[in-house]
This record gives sequence, C-alpha cells and structure tokens, in this order.
Amino acid sequence: MRKSHSVRLVLLGTASVALTACGDSGAPPKDARFFPTVKECSAVYGDASCEDAKAAAEKKQAAEAPRFTRKEQCEAEFGVGNCETRQTAEGGSFFMPLLMGYMMGNMMGGNRFAQPVYRGPNDTAVMPNQGKLFNVGRFDGAGAGTRPAFRPATQIAEVSRGGFGSTAQKYDNTSGG
Amino acid sequence: MERQLVTPRPDWRAHVERELGFAFHTIGGAPYWDETACYRFTAAEIDQIEDATNELEQMALALVERVVTTGDAAYERLRIPRIAWSAIEGSWNAGEKNLYGRFDLAYGGNGPPKLLEYNADTPTALFEAAVVQWDWLQALWPERDQFNSIHERLIEAWKSFGINEPIYFAAVKDHVEDNGTVEYLRDTAVQAGLTTERIAIEHIGWDGERFRDLDNRPIGVLFKLYPWEWLVGEPFGAHLLTGVAKVIEPAWKMVLSNKAALALLWEMAPGHPNLLPAFLEPDRIEGRVVRKPIYSREGANVQVLDGTRLVAETEGGYGAEGYVYQAYVAMPEFSGNYPVIGSWVIASQAAGIGIREDATAITRDTSRFIPHYFE
Repeated sequence: MRKSHSVRLVLLGTASVALTACGDSGAPPKDARFFPTVKECSAVYGDASCEDAKAAAEKKQAAEAPRFTRKEQCEAEFGVGNCETRQTAEGGSFFMPLLMGYMMGNMMGGNRFAQPVYRGPNDTAVMPNQGKLFNVGRFDGAGAGTRPAFRPATQIAEVSRGGFGSTAQKYDNTSGG
Repeated sequence: MERQLVTPRPDWRAHVERELGFAFHTIGGAPYWDETACYRFTAAEIDQIEDATNELEQMALALVERVVTTGDAAYERLRIPRIAWSAIEGSWNAGEKNLYGRFDLAYGGNGPPKLLEYNADTPTALFEAAVVQWDWLQALWPERDQFNSIHERLIEAWKSFGINEPIYFAAVKDHVEDNGTVEYLRDTAVQAGLTTERIAIEHIGWDGERFRDLDNRPIGVLFKLYPWEWLVGEPFGAHLLTGVAKVIEPAWKMVLSNKAALALLWEMAPGHPNLLPAFLEPDRIEGRVVRKPIYSREGANVQVLDGTRLVAETEGGYGAEGYVYQAYVAMPEFSGNYPVIGSWVIASQAAGIGIREDATAITRDTSRFIPHYFE
C-alpha cells in the first residue's frame, strides 16, 4: 500500500479555537480583575455580586466551553493537565477546559462584567468572550494540589506590529500557489 | 491513466465539514473539491511519477548547491534581492531542513512527466491531497490503493526537525484556504509531539531584538505560509533575515520558489526527460512558448505565445521582476478537462499526488481538486 495506513486529526474536525489578543472587541474592561474564589472577590464587590459572577462563569463554562470527545484533543488546545471530564445528560462523557476562576469588572453603563477563565497552553490564563479567547494573564507555580498564582498580562516591551503582510494586501489574493 | 465518472457521496459536504473540518470545499459558490470524477492510474504510471518526482527534487537540491557556490551572479539571474543572499547561503550551509514542496507535472499516461513548475516555498492543496482524497477512497473503495502517504510523512518529518520550543504557525489573517492549510500542518505537528501556536502574519511583533507574539512572548520558530520573496520586501524582512528566528521553509527555498529556477534547471540538465526547455531570454525557443512571471501565484499573468502572436493569457498583477520562457507542452486532455499532477515531496521524498483540473489549459486558482486511485 502506498496510501497512509491511518489519517487521524486532532485539531481539525472538532470545535477548534483561536487565541485572540486583548484590544479586540470582547476584551475585559480596564478595571477587570481575576478572582479564583468568591472569598477573594467579596472584599472588592461583596458576597452577593461575587456569588452571581461565580455562578455566571460556571454556567458559561458548562454551556459554551469547547467540548472534546478525547482528552488529547482538549489538551492539544489547552495544554496537558488543563482539561476536566464531564458527563452529558445521556450518560456519556466529554472533556472541556478547567475552570480556574473568573474575570470580573464594571462595564460602561454600570453592568457587571463576569467571564470564566481557563488555563491554556504554556500556563496562560484564557478568557472566552464573544466567540474569541483572550489571554488575560498567566498562572505561575502550577503544581498539582497547590493553587497557582495569577499574574495579569502586561506590556512587557514596546512591540511594533504590522511589519509583515502588506504584499498580500497588494495582490489581494492567496499566499500559496 | 483515465478519467472516471463517479457518483458523489450524498452527504459528502456535511461529512467533510464535520469529520474533517474541510471548510473550503466550495469557493466563491463554485465547486473546488469535486468528487463527480476521479483519475485511475496503473501502478507503473505511479512508479513513473514517483521516480520523476524524486529525480526532480535531487536536481532542485543540486541547483541550490550550484547557486550558493556560484554566488552573486546566480542570485542576480534569479532576481533575488541582495538583502537575502547571505541568509540563503547561511541556511543552506547550516543544513536547515525543509518540510515540503509540490512539483506541478504535465502527465497524461504516455511519455515522461514534464515539470511545469515547482512550488517549493508555499505549496497549497495539501490538506485536500493528504486527507480529503484519502477519506474519499476509504469511503468508496477501501481495498484500493492511492499514491498518498503525505499525512504519515508529515508527522515523521516534524519529528526529524528536532524542535523543542513552540512553533508559531502563521498565515494571512482571515484567508480561509491558507488558514485551513496551516491548521492542518499544525495538526500534524501536534501529532508529532511538538508544541504549537497560531498567529496571523500581520500580528507578528518586533521589539528591536526578537519577534514577539500577541502576548509578547518571543517567537523562536516560525512556520509561515507566506512567500519568502514577500517577507524580505516588507518592513520586518531584514530582521527575519538575521536568523533571529528559525523559519520553515528555510531561506534557501528562495532559490527554488521563483520561476527563473526553471531556466537554471534546464541549463544544468539540458535535455532531461522531465524538464521542458526554459530560458530567461525570449526567442530561444522555436514555436509556441509560455511566458511566466518570475514571481507569481496561482497561474496569474501567464501568456502563451506563438512567435509574437498571443494565443492565450491570464490576468493578474505580477511580472515586475521579469519573465521566464518555457517551451509549450500540450496539456493532456480528458473529455474537455485538463488535469495537472501536483506531486508532493515531504522532507525531499516523493510522498503522493493531488490532481487539479481546469476547463482550460492554464491551471488557475479556480481549478477543481479531483481525487485519484491506482491499481
């Protein structure tokens, strides 16, 4: 045989996700902070608001987090050890990213912003919103059993962008041939 | 080699979308993946294509060696900008590995395959060849064979790169086909045990010392589905040429990814059965000649000339760097269709074919992908 014995795909053909930077629409408000538990949140927002935010984050994870039939598919997207298993109503099981806590802040107009935060590849803190994933920080010291410390994303250097891609715009077509 | 009509699987659209994640089977409302037909080859024909492909790849590698040894004069003939010369030489002398390439061959089952051109830097139609046609054959005739071990070869090739940091896979933002191809390659890299990241080519950052991703993490290894000749002409091009990041394909592919290389191949191996006569000057070929821009994509700006008479032409915005003149070869025709064999090399070894078919003799980005098998 000169054809492949098997062709298996681990990323394609499933709900695949793309990382998007903060700054696009859907990014958390400026004052948003990460809270791993209600206890740490309540000093800022009070018990009731924090319970609401936690419940909203859990609900959002259950309803919208990408689901994978195999653990390795999930780990290919979110990193090894960053997925948890859940049961479907029918008794089957699937994998989804692990909930680490939530981002909470105040939106324009006075509404509260609350979104779940997962742990992604390379210990990134990943927040979904509006169909995109945002890198909101990083988890340090990710040992089993100990809660990793959250480090918010900051500009670590002045970086210029847009230095590649202009020729494709000029020709307005594919790069491949 | 013959063209057979086949009944498409009734649910093929939903199937390829859901099971394979194949998002661009239809482009601009027109079919791109076309399973109303297929090509049947004999084993001897496949052997002929495989042998020709391996021989062409060895000639291509010999040409790079020759160009690097010759130096300035050769780069000038290839219209490669001076800024890139030392990066080409450095990457070649360091033995930087290459992943893939696609030879486009004129072949109809009689006579040797003839090289039309070599897509050495940014070949596409990879996912269709490696996965979609394989899946099609498994569904219809699992006992039959296909010249296609592309998928397995890609996974093996990634392992041989010896990369132990994240590879950033980059393509033009929002380009569906290019991102589909890149996502497929990333899939094979993940299966090879590598760590991968995605970034749009437009989002790559530069902090004065290193390339940075959107999270400002350094980019150490970059897979780019974006032509080298474009990169070197853009604002960050000079940074890339310093070698601060490892790039796949390597810089030496610039020697092969421009069509002037066709003339240098002919010069190196005149009369080779798998080559067509090709020159950098007009008037060297008697009879019909095909004029191709040295840098172009997807069959743009090609002219077929008979003496000074224009026989056929495609549009586009290319040609500023000059042209290569290649002897015209009558493309094999099957019931009004003109197939071109895209013959893949993975890590410089022949690994399979994908066929694109057009209703005209110049294959363009509107051509359809047709599956194949052999027995």
